[in-house]
Amino acid sequence: MIMKKINRRDFIRTTGAAAAAATFASTPGLAYSQGIGTSAPFGDYRALVCVFMFGGNDSFNMLVPNTTAEYNTYAASRQNLAIAQQDLLPINPTSLPAGSNPFGLHPSMATTQTLFESGNAAFVANVGPLVEPTTKDEYFNKSVLLPPQLFSHNDQQAQWQSLKGASTSKTGWAGRIADLIRTNVADQQMATNASLFGTNLFQSADQTIAYVMGNTGPLQFTGFSDDPGSILFDQKLAFEGIVDAQYNSVYERAFAEIQRRAIDAADTVSAAITSAPTLNTIFPTSQLGRQLETVAKLIGNKDQLQMERQIFFVATGGFDSHDDQNINQPGLLGGISDAMAAFYDATVELGMADSVTAFTQSDFGRTLTSNGDGTDHAWGGNQLVVGGAVEGRDIYGTYPVLEIGGDIDTGGGRMIPSTSADQLAATLAKWFGIPDADLDVVAPNIDNFVQRDLGFMV
Amino acid sequence: MKTRLISIVVSLLLGVAGCGGGSGGNKQPPPPPPPAPITKAEAFQFLNQATFGATETEADQVIAMRYEAWIDDQLAKPASLQLPHIQSLPLPPFIGQLQADRVDIWFRNALHGDDQLRQRVAFALSEILVVSQLGALNNQPYSLASYYDMLARNAFGNYRDLIEEVTLHPSMGVYLSMLGNEKPDAVNNIRPDENYARELMQLFSIGLVELNLDGTVKTDTQGQPIPTYDQSVIEAFAHVYTGWTYAGSPVFRGARATLTNQVIPMQLWQSFHDTGPKTLLNGFTIPAGQMGEQDLADALDNVFNHPNVGPFLAIRLIQRLVTSNPSPGYVSRVASVFNNNGQGVRGDLRAVVRAILLDPEAQPAMRMDLDGKIKEPLLRLTQLWRAYDATSISGRYPFNFAYIIFGQGPLQSPSVFNFYSPFFAPTGEIRDNSLVAPELEIATEYLNTYITNFMFGQTFGLNSTNENLNPDDVYINFEAEMAIAADIDLLIDTVAGKLLGGQISDTLRNEIAGMLALVPETDTATRVAETIYFVVTSPEYAYQR
Repeated sequence: MIMKKINRRDFIRTTGAAAAAATFASTPGLAYSQGIGTSAPFGDYRALVCVFMFGGNDSFNMLVPNTTAEYNTYAASRQNLAIAQQDLLPINPTSLPAGSNPFGLHPSMATTQTLFESGNAAFVANVGPLVEPTTKDEYFNKSVLLPPQLFSHNDQQAQWQSLKGASTSKTGWAGRIADLIRTNVADQQMATNASLFGTNLFQSADQTIAYVMGNTGPLQFTGFSDDPGSILFDQKLAFEGIVDAQYNSVYERAFAEIQRRAIDAADTVSAAITSAPTLNTIFPTSQLGRQLETVAKLIGNKDQLQMERQIFFVATGGFDSHDDQNINQPGLLGGISDAMAAFYDATVELGMADSVTAFTQSDFGRTLTSNGDGTDHAWGGNQLVVGGAVEGRDIYGTYPVLEIGGDIDTGGGRMIPSTSADQLAATLAKWFGIPDADLDVVAPNIDNFVQRDLGFMV
Repeated sequence: MKTRLISIVVSLLLGVAGCGGGSGGNKQPPPPPPPAPITKAEAFQFLNQATFGATETEADQVIAMRYEAWIDDQLAKPASLQLPHIQSLPLPPFIGQLQADRVDIWFRNALHGDDQLRQRVAFALSEILVVSQLGALNNQPYSLASYYDMLARNAFGNYRDLIEEVTLHPSMGVYLSMLGNEKPDAVNNIRPDENYARELMQLFSIGLVELNLDGTVKTDTQGQPIPTYDQSVIEAFAHVYTGWTYAGSPVFRGARATLTNQVIPMQLWQSFHDTGPKTLLNGFTIPAGQMGEQDLADALDNVFNHPNVGPFLAIRLIQRLVTSNPSPGYVSRVASVFNNNGQGVRGDLRAVVRAILLDPEAQPAMRMDLDGKIKEPLLRLTQLWRAYDATSISGRYPFNFAYIIFGQGPLQSPSVFNFYSPFFAPTGEIRDNSLVAPELEIATEYLNTYITNFMFGQTFGLNSTNENLNPDDVYINFEAEMAIAADIDLLIDTVAGKLLGGQISDTLRNEIAGMLALVPETDTATRVAETIYFVVTSPEYAYQR
């Protein structure tokens, strides 16, 4: 190994830097693309963007019933956490009588109201992890299989992201999608899965590895140069020689592999972001806004990266509103709304709105009841889907009666989901191009539910 | 689960010569090792478990004293504290500015404190009993300093005392919203806050499922894990933790932090405490009508005496100090000491720390390929700074952005779930062999590059030859290496001696030598910077053997 490395450096010095540079220039990206290419390419582009709200979004204050009886039930349950009815932003789902304004959005979500009313956003109501359809009796009798460790943050994040539970799976549903389409994506210059919010189970896979960058993209190595005349070029070669060496410890090997992937992808991905089409859309300056702006740039430069399918993971935290919920909720929900709306606008600007779908996930919904000034961990909740290919201006699934002690309340307003996270995932995966026969790989519980496709994608 | 069998399988898979292991099962306590002298490399391995980074000076101490005496000497040292320093400083315009001073005193203690073992264990505890500056506590630097001091003072105390001090500390009260939690109000659909109730059990003491003494998961007759509690138990504990707020506050609702009340235990308002009966773990019921203090004592006893605490804590402390994948035997030995320190006392952390570091599986001379771990990112930095006498013109280390660059900083976790999960396993051979590597959860392409670039700046820029340093720039001192930089082999040996205990791979040595040959002999600073840069960014430096 050592001799090979030193020979390579000697080779560069003796045979001419330009030729050598060309040799190396062809390698970045390929080692990291993870494609096989034994099947036909898709021939078009599609991207899924998961917006994860860490902590558990109190989504029954995001999408609120607005008819008198239903609102009054909501207000009685939520007490000091209820949004005043006159403050709700009314929305008119197409499947319900025009002008009835049966639902309203949190007053901080005006941008989502606009997206919804223009048909480019939809909600999936009371959705959450389920193994099979579950009634209140079945829940208490334990006569159905339930997701493990309900109401626990990390376990329910894992359940949303893997649909299998962390204890039985180390892969996520985006990761399994990436593994499934490996044969179709031979030439791509970066991994199918990219995260702008660190390592996550959602994109974890057996055969592919998600690439992790920062809010504004990858970092390049300050100590490296691709100019063979620079000592920093030798520095890069030496660094690579160390990274590529054989190590006895599994830990050293795993660490070296990360370094190798970082070297491979940094220049390619950075260049794609730098040379991306200029966007006129103004993104919020929030962390989520910057992440989504970076995603938009990468999507805008999909051709340079030779990408046909991409799944992005972006996220923001602070949703675990055990206290001060009324103070913090406007900023949290407004932040999600404005960032996702800007992202949608950017995809329109790129002419790719129909090819990109953004959707939310969160640990769990929250208790309808208050703990004084906040809420605790619960189960079902509402999620938002945004994009040109969304059958928008509608609410999918069943919006529950928000009644304490009602038919689906397991106690304190912890609502049993009426639609499963598997159904949401399968609907998105089908749009992404996963054949029906493979949907159970993506969404392992999908066969337990009658409706494999919730119908919110065109 | 993590038996010797796995090591054999891995050895075979990896083509590593597997020898021994014919007996199967867990690692057996081996016969007493021969009284061979401790080598420098072994002393380094030990010190990277027990301190904020091995140094040659400390290695000499370990070699002279041997492990047990060195540990006992450390166990006797009083805690280096943070709060007195923070309280000695003038109040800045924005109180959050003191967080940089809190980080500064953390680095001073970590780098220079005599109580290295205590500080290292306190840091490990701060990753289990998590509170964080990121959030409301950014405005309570005194409270966070006091919280860390509490961990340091109790690092060799009893875990029962520790969780009580944690429970009543206003930092935790704010962080997991027990502060201000009040009894139910059925009319208004208000229940007690479940935040602290849940996380004390899930993250600080027993975990989600029942464990055997050796840390493996107990299963029922269907082979399924057995949950340690259900929602009703969480709700019962939530009722226990009602009625507490800042000490001395004139009001319960809307109590405000002051400079004094944020550093002393919370106080009970019995009128806001729920006095109903509460059924806790394993069916234990607190009777109705008790005072809040008694409810709390009974509840913490109930948690503390759960059989999971020993193995739960053993795994986490071993993972922080020694290895990511302790064998069941190792966990069992440490958990047994937690359960009984030999004098009938449960929860004695002094005995637990001794047991962790003196276990055969922790001993440098007994290491196997699967032993060890990836160093915590912040420890890669403290080790370098200790080895190269890092300081600044101001004498301060106000590196408040450690968590951004290294993904880890003192009391700077993104959530109560710490910087990484104890169960994280990256795709590839680690996961394939049912192993874990928690620190790799944050060793992303992005953060690794951030650290690599930081190390580039540290070695080439922020060093003792730089004449344009800002007062707070932390720089390393490598004058000694510059004097011998003409001799490439000697230079590499010297740096490897300080950072790797002399154990350097041929690849690393040869790559550095190749680079140094390109640097003029007279450019001694660059030669030294190159050498240190390549060592501290190498996989072998990132690995804690």
